[in-house]
Amino acid sequence: MSLRKTILGISAFMALVCSAPALADAADGEKLFGQCLACHQIGESAKHLFGPKLNGMSNKPAGLAEDYVYSGSFKKAAQSGLKWDDESLDKFLEAPLDFIVGTKMAFPGVKSEESRASIIAYLKEFNENGERIKAVVEPKIIKPIVIEPRKLATEFVVPKHGVLHLGRRALDEEVVAWDIDIRPDGLGLPKGSGNAIDGSELYENHCASCHGSFGEGTVRWPVLAGGEDTLTEERPEKTVGSYWPYLSTVYDYIRRAMPFGNARSLSDDDVYAITAYILYLNDLEDEEFELTSENFTSIRMPNEENFTADNRHEESYRLTNNSEPCMNNCADIPARIIQRARVLDVTPDSE
Amino acid sequence: MGWISFYLPKYIVKNEYIVYIFSKGYREWVPISMKRRTLLKRGLALGGGVGASLAGSNALAAQQPETLITEIQDWNRYLGDGVDARPYGRPSQFETEAVRRNVPWLTADPKSSVNFTPLHKIDGIITPNGLCFERHHGGIAEIDPADQRLMINGLVDTPLVFTMEDLARFPRENHVYFLECAANTGMEWRGAQLNGCQFTHGMVHNVMYTGVKLKHLLAEAGLKSNAKWLLPEGADSSHMTRSVPMEKALDDCLVATHMNGEALRPEQGYPLRLVVPGWEGNMWVKWLRRIEVGDKPWHHREETSKYTDLLEDGTARRFTWVMEVKSVITNPSPQAPINHGRGQTVLTGLAWSGLGKIKRVDVSIDGGRNWKTARLDGPSLSKSVHRFYYDFNWDGSEMFLQSRAIDEFGNVQPTKTDLRAARGVNSIYHNNAIQTWHVRNDGTTENVEIA
Ligand code: HEC
Ligand code: HEC
Repeated sequence: MSLRKTILGISAFMALVCSAPALADAADGEKLFGQCLACHQIGESAKHLFGPKLNGMSNKPAGLAEDYVYSGSFKKAAQSGLKWDDESLDKFLEAPLDFIVGTKMAFPGVKSEESRASIIAYLKEFNENGERIKAVVEPKIIKPIVIEPRKLATEFVVPKHGVLHLGRRALDEEVVAWDIDIRPDGLGLPKGSGNAIDGSELYENHCASCHGSFGEGTVRWPVLAGGEDTLTEERPEKTVGSYWPYLSTVYDYIRRAMPFGNARSLSDDDVYAITAYILYLNDLEDEEFELTSENFTSIRMPNEENFTADNRHEESYRLTNNSEPCMNNCADIPARIIQRARVLDVTPDSE
Repeated sequence: MGWISFYLPKYIVKNEYIVYIFSKGYREWVPISMKRRTLLKRGLALGGGVGASLAGSNALAAQQPETLITEIQDWNRYLGDGVDARPYGRPSQFETEAVRRNVPWLTADPKSSVNFTPLHKIDGIITPNGLCFERHHGGIAEIDPADQRLMINGLVDTPLVFTMEDLARFPRENHVYFLECAANTGMEWRGAQLNGCQFTHGMVHNVMYTGVKLKHLLAEAGLKSNAKWLLPEGADSSHMTRSVPMEKALDDCLVATHMNGEALRPEQGYPLRLVVPGWEGNMWVKWLRRIEVGDKPWHHREETSKYTDLLEDGTARRFTWVMEVKSVITNPSPQAPINHGRGQTVLTGLAWSGLGKIKRVDVSIDGGRNWKTARLDGPSLSKSVHRFYYDFNWDGSEMFLQSRAIDEFGNVQPTKTDLRAARGVNSIYHNNAIQTWHVRNDGTTENVEIA
């Protein structure tokens, strides 16, 4: 019902807006597609993930991917004639869950019109078979096959290091490439800086689709902000601001693992800016704030002092002096059920 | 288990396929739910055949000769598959329940998620490779061993890079160890919730690893005198890291290439994973690509935001590495009810301790009022699961089954009441409390809490 309304509403709307949004840039779109990679693949070797592979998306009916099980709502939309073109893709990507009520594309949408246009331009570069039509074909260099005689065992050079002389020395460039970890005392921090204002834009483009514009977390993705003074409450809210002891952890984690599905794609300065912005989202710094490799270690997180060492062995219930637990008549009254396993019946059976 | 958490405050239902629960209060993702229809179907499947088999397996009730015996069956007459039909053998087609379970009703995103070992479907102490529960933070990395490199850098004399061929030239060892996720049983902190030991206790597996002692690799690089901590790092898209203290690294950690005799499975870190015996599963970094040596811990995300144990007073324990003494009865259990009526009955389960061997397991059928010592059977190895059996004559009345393990250092598995009194209910991790199964007088079994 609401689906039909939406689709009709949109075609009316489309009649009014006729020109496709300008400023579309497939190269930008490729980067922005990072936020889709958690669920979609595109290209010749693309497979269905949680979402279908997205080859040949322009000017064809929705819901055609073979061997992919769409949601009932999506199928209905496809049956009532939904076609993918610039306009419909734009509306869908803006707010998938509103455009097709009940779709299983649990993704809040891409807010910026320009970003959507770029993503669509990128999608359109792939034909039905996943070949990138515009992609530059690099000339293949055919290497002549040379069969070298096997080396004699004595011709191998044995390194000098260590005990068994195995492995080889890591080159400086290799260590630099992989050694990306950062410690609370600042060890490992790259030189650089970024401010919360730039961070806000980067965050909006690369993070907000999952973590929410205010770090509140959309649909089912983690929350990054808020929750101060809730750790003793019945439902504590553990966020960067309320729980994380060190700022270095934020920088380190974003740089090594985020955006989810497109790790290691941000520059060091981008990570500074986004980290500054997350501090702002948590009311720990103001919007003018600039985070730099110089001021980094002076920033303290509010919950730092509340972490303690493992002292489980001091818990009072533990038996001491090798005493034995009770074997017989350990309670006066028989056992009585006070709680049963329940599996929540939260399911919105659509019928 | 990272961003998945374990009780059921608020939920958001976004569509007809994915049901997930999001605890605003807790700021963690909570997966527990299933479609009612799925639930009903599952309920039928699990309890399925109970009525039938209660009658069917009662030998005295057989009036008609069984055609299974009196008639010639297909497999008695016709030839079966030849030798090459299954180049890599697989379980019998009839073992449909012996599978890891997760989707569609437990979590929404399979890339950072978990599934569970079907403990009620296995016996002995070794978990078959295909049934070892999975938990990844960025999907399964698929790495050609020819492309695998392991780097050791930091406070060492010579930073090194090893290929798989290099690693194969170190002296190697075989050890059986359990791996338990720190969040195993985490869903049960607030009360009985999931009906099945696969779901309450299935984030554990027990495997024989072949690998190289980490200390040999470190010796090759040469440790500097201020080397106190290690940071193993994964090559997958989550670049998993944890800080490991040097004493542990030099004691029993392995860099493993094989599990149960074959190369590691991709989902278990092929071609290389760290083995940290007795300690939290998430320290056993998969797709291991680098080990940094340092003088202080790193306090990375998986040892601050996650894998820290929040207590009632708002403080949180960190570096709670050891998985303490624990046990669970795997049969009977909710997914494995008693189908044979009263009489001779086998009760069995698993016990383990991250500190060493299991000394004893006691079993109670009356909810902890009286205990009998179970029989440990099979190899008793340090930091490996132990199999226990209790063979008894069931009188057909309802039972409250419990098991209580004691390790070689005298540590006794605590009750749920003990643990909650000591820690509150927001710890998520390290719930090693005694589990209760209620067996009704028709043999069906439920996860309950008792007073
Ligand atoms: C959380 C996972 C998820 C994310 C993130 C996601 N999608 Fe989807 N997408 C899906 C699913 C699932 C479907 C199938 C919808 C259905 O069956 O209800 C889908 C369907 C689609 C379709 C329709 C395909 C067809 O065959 O008609 C398009 C186009 C699409 N997504 C584009 C995108 C783009 C572009 C992005 C990133 C900006 C994105 N999606 C992000 C899960 C996702
Ligand atoms: C496609 C969805 C997605 C996008 C886009 C994304 N994240 Fe995440 N983020 C996740 C998931 C999923 C996790 C949890 C991963 C896990 O636990 O294995 C996570 C975890 C985090 C955490 C740790 C949360 C905690 O409480 O431990 C931080 C911080 C974070 N993301 C920051 C970012 C930033 C900054 C960006 C943008 C540069 C970003 N994320 C983009 C999905 C996303």
